[in-house]
Amino acid sequence: MGTLGSMRRKAVATAAAVGALSLVVGCGGDGDSVTGGSKDGDKVTITMGLFGVMGIKETGLLEEYEKNNPGVTIKAEIAGDEQTYYTALQTKLAAGKGLKDIQGIEIGRAKEITETRADMFADFAKVEGTDHFLPWKQSQITTKDGKVLGLGTDIGPMAVCYRKDYFEKAGLPTDREEVGKLWAGDWKKYVEVGRTFKKDFKGGDVSYTDSASGLFNAMVYGYPEQYYNEQGDLIYDKNPAVKEAWQLASDAAEEDLTAKLRQFQPGWDPGLSNGTFATAVCPAWMLSHISEKAGEVNKGKWDVARAPKGANWGGSFLGVIEDSPVKEEAQKLVAWLTAPEQQARIFKDLGNIPSSQKALEDPSVKAVKNDYFSGAPLGEIFGAAAQEIPDKQVLGRKDGTIKDTFSQGLALVEQGTPRDEAWKTTSERIQKAVG
Amino acid sequence: MTTQSLPARTDAPARTEPEKPARGGRRLLRERAGRTHHAGPLAYILLVIMAVLSIFPLYWTMVAASTDNTRVSQTPPPFLPGPNLFSNLARAWDEAAMGKAMINSTIVAGVIALSTVFFATLAGFAFAKLRFKGRNVLLMLVIGTMMVPPQLGVVPLFMMMSELGWSQQLPAVIFPTLVSAVGVFFMRQYLSEALPDELVEAGRVDGAHSLRIFWSIVLPVARPAMAVIFMITFVHAWNDFFWPFVVLDMTNPTVPVALTQLSAGYVRDQSLIMAGALLGTLPLLAMFIVFGRQIVSGIMAGAVKG
Amino acid sequence: MATSTTKALAGEEPPGPSRAGDGKETSRRRGAWLHRLDVKGAPYAFVAPFFVVFAAFSFYPLVYTSWISLHDVELATLDIMEWVAFDNYVELWGDSRFWNALQNTITIGIISTVPQLLMALGIAHLLNYRMRASLFFRVASLVPYATSVGAAALVFTMIFERDFGMINWGLGLVGVDPVNWEADKWPAQVAISTIVIWRWTGYNALLYLAAMQAIPADRYEAASLDGASRWQQFRHVTVPGIRSTIVFTIVLSTIGATQLFGEPLIFGQGPNGVTGGANNQYQTLGLLLYEEGWKNYQMGRSATVAWAMFMLLVLAFVAQRLIKRLRSRTS
Repeated sequence: MGTLGSMRRKAVATAAAVGALSLVVGCGGDGDSVTGGSKDGDKVTITMGLFGVMGIKETGLLEEYEKNNPGVTIKAEIAGDEQTYYTALQTKLAAGKGLKDIQGIEIGRAKEITETRADMFADFAKVEGTDHFLPWKQSQITTKDGKVLGLGTDIGPMAVCYRKDYFEKAGLPTDREEVGKLWAGDWKKYVEVGRTFKKDFKGGDVSYTDSASGLFNAMVYGYPEQYYNEQGDLIYDKNPAVKEAWQLASDAAEEDLTAKLRQFQPGWDPGLSNGTFATAVCPAWMLSHISEKAGEVNKGKWDVARAPKGANWGGSFLGVIEDSPVKEEAQKLVAWLTAPEQQARIFKDLGNIPSSQKALEDPSVKAVKNDYFSGAPLGEIFGAAAQEIPDKQVLGRKDGTIKDTFSQGLALVEQGTPRDEAWKTTSERIQKAVG
Repeated sequence: MTTQSLPARTDAPARTEPEKPARGGRRLLRERAGRTHHAGPLAYILLVIMAVLSIFPLYWTMVAASTDNTRVSQTPPPFLPGPNLFSNLARAWDEAAMGKAMINSTIVAGVIALSTVFFATLAGFAFAKLRFKGRNVLLMLVIGTMMVPPQLGVVPLFMMMSELGWSQQLPAVIFPTLVSAVGVFFMRQYLSEALPDELVEAGRVDGAHSLRIFWSIVLPVARPAMAVIFMITFVHAWNDFFWPFVVLDMTNPTVPVALTQLSAGYVRDQSLIMAGALLGTLPLLAMFIVFGRQIVSGIMAGAVKG
Repeated sequence: MATSTTKALAGEEPPGPSRAGDGKETSRRRGAWLHRLDVKGAPYAFVAPFFVVFAAFSFYPLVYTSWISLHDVELATLDIMEWVAFDNYVELWGDSRFWNALQNTITIGIISTVPQLLMALGIAHLLNYRMRASLFFRVASLVPYATSVGAAALVFTMIFERDFGMINWGLGLVGVDPVNWEADKWPAQVAISTIVIWRWTGYNALLYLAAMQAIPADRYEAASLDGASRWQQFRHVTVPGIRSTIVFTIVLSTIGATQLFGEPLIFGQGPNGVTGGANNQYQTLGLLLYEEGWKNYQMGRSATVAWAMFMLLVLAFVAQRLIKRLRSRTS
């Protein structure tokens, strides 16, 4: 049998392991409060749970707020992936524990939150100085009985990003005003330009646009009702807007006008850096992605033109948990963060388009230009696009899932599946995902 | 299952390391297993190919972490490291607040791996070499627990942890995985071949109780398998993401949870993310080197002697 | 089964040296009693920790899962559960996605598991040689298992990308047309199997290596005295010597293949990863569970898939046992 020495050593090791374990157990804290915030006399701690794209931490706004409001400490957490963030948020809402005082809400989740978790969120209706938003933005986070569950951060008005050098090689105009005029008012004209491009382009293997789904999304997002009607019924299969977008996107796919890619999916980034397509329908927040991935070599080759019609893709809200011990303080912070001045600053720093009407009208916002995109006046283009977005935007609970399913359906068309068959498949999948 | 072939070598003289004292059943342990052959050139060539294929993604992580965001997405991508490795690593360390995360992950993965190894060896020994009523049924039950897909437990588990007051605390991550069916089953299979019955028998004859047999006979034999279980459990616990993400938060994160902060923003800074991934993998490599040494035949003899 | 020896272990009275040297009757009887308690009770004490922890932290979620599979319930509204009895199961049975996923799970399982275990066996055999830098090779073989999912995803999309990927570039050099790895069914399944093989071969190799270390050297010596070549030694000494561990890896790989979802998720990335391709061409059962639960947030249906997977595995093992019994009866 092992000598006493080795046995003692093992015993000590085991004891150490057990000790470490009990130490870990011992430091368990209280799990009683709903959120992480706390108030202790003048000292207030506010916790925030955010996801990737809100630009609040990056711009140093939180430090500024802490400086101007002594005694306030803000702890913000940013998760990279919204899908994971929302799953965790739902789990915590269901348990009623482990929440942050302030929680970010993506536009695709707004409907679900207003329908199912309105009682968990504090009402902003009576908070002062919150009447500067675009009307449709705030209506998206308002419940049927008028409770406002959050305040808007950014929005995603759409434009068309295009390669000037490729347009020139296809004998098309290159000036952004003229390019905008080519397709003004009708997405059909945008596809028509694509046919010309395909016919006349000399200079290699370049597609007109990156994806059929990008075109489809931009068209659908331009209508007040998309996949659901105001009563919350699924209408994607009856809505003429969806049908029309499907047909036109299928035309583009079948006529080989697309590079058969999908935005933000594998292959799209190398497509950007190698310049395999001439246009991409782009919401404002996509621009920084394009400039990063297309790289220095393509600087000045890209430009931005107005889209045929106004449409919105993306954007977020900040909500406050009703049972938070620092509810008023958190609401005050949210109101400040989404105030016109702060939204304008985030736009100038990061390019997120303000959801505040007032910020959009700010001359310093309008004057913003972008060097990478040939000096395009982004403030002006996207500001104007924001005004064109329909004043009503009906959201549905499963908008995001349905959008993804349509994108996959169009990918099938791009790979050669007949469009009617692809529609049927898509429709079946939506029924299953929603039902 | 195949223990019947073992008794044949009870009387085999100890050949490989004659300087060790040969006494009783322990003589068996000193047999240097397997390694009678030296590797030929072909073996080296094959292993080098294996090593290159295995390490390439990690190497490329390092390359990606050493350049900047634009260069990574170029085609063809760069194959040689750029100049920014250390600055990106430092940036990732700061932005993800890795200090605390590293300590937490070390505690979590260390405790889980130690406890898994210990309990797996204990239970694996019982299942392999001890006779008790319901043994086969219980073993099937252990295997059965592996068949349950783990993802679904998250929601009820979270509610349970909130009730216990453990949400945002490390115990919430540690306790559910203190044991592993994989470990128990592997150890059972390993010991049923590696541990000669006569050894246990000899221990009984000496009047040792079960725990003593476990300490002084089973543990030395089980050492290579314990090292392997430790390594794979540690890696698994270290890299586990979904459950820790749900139950912990950034004030008290593990490494993968902390790393999610690096992918915030509309444009993901690929080189920063890769620098973070590299930081998260380095401790694992260090652990491999320490425990990889344990999977060497001959260790057993040393353990018995020690 | 080692019945002959375990009988000995369960032990009649051991004649061993009594440590109660002063020979007091009571203490001897107490010793015997303790010994019986030890022999009878220790095995249960040894396996108890596993079952205690399992019961504490996995049993309730398990019951909850089965309960929830009988309901129509979404993650957002967990408190509102609608009792639907076995509707979810009936629906799953009639769902073409389920049968498609089952088929994919089986094909990917076969393409990935068979080469993986064979290669692992070979690598373990090589690692078992006396050699220089053996620690390096051992560590290297486990690196894929430790590589973060994000890094692996980046590398493999780069390798399998349609327009600019390395493999298509290589194929182009030898005049082969580019393969659409993601969109076409079989290329996608092969690519995913490649990722599985890459990630798990070293893991299995180390398990084999640990088991090989326990094979006594004299068996090899006896074999070589009989004039067995290295290959014959491998087949007749090494492989039988680690048979239990091979059984273990086969069981584990079968379970792993049934639950496979990480690798296809990596391979597709984003929405395509979750649904296993635009046409579900590489959706596995594990991915279907994931899609229902964490994309559609339909917890009831997700739980149903989980139970279906569990039943499938149980069925597979029962079938395997039956076949084995029939074969041993006929032979």
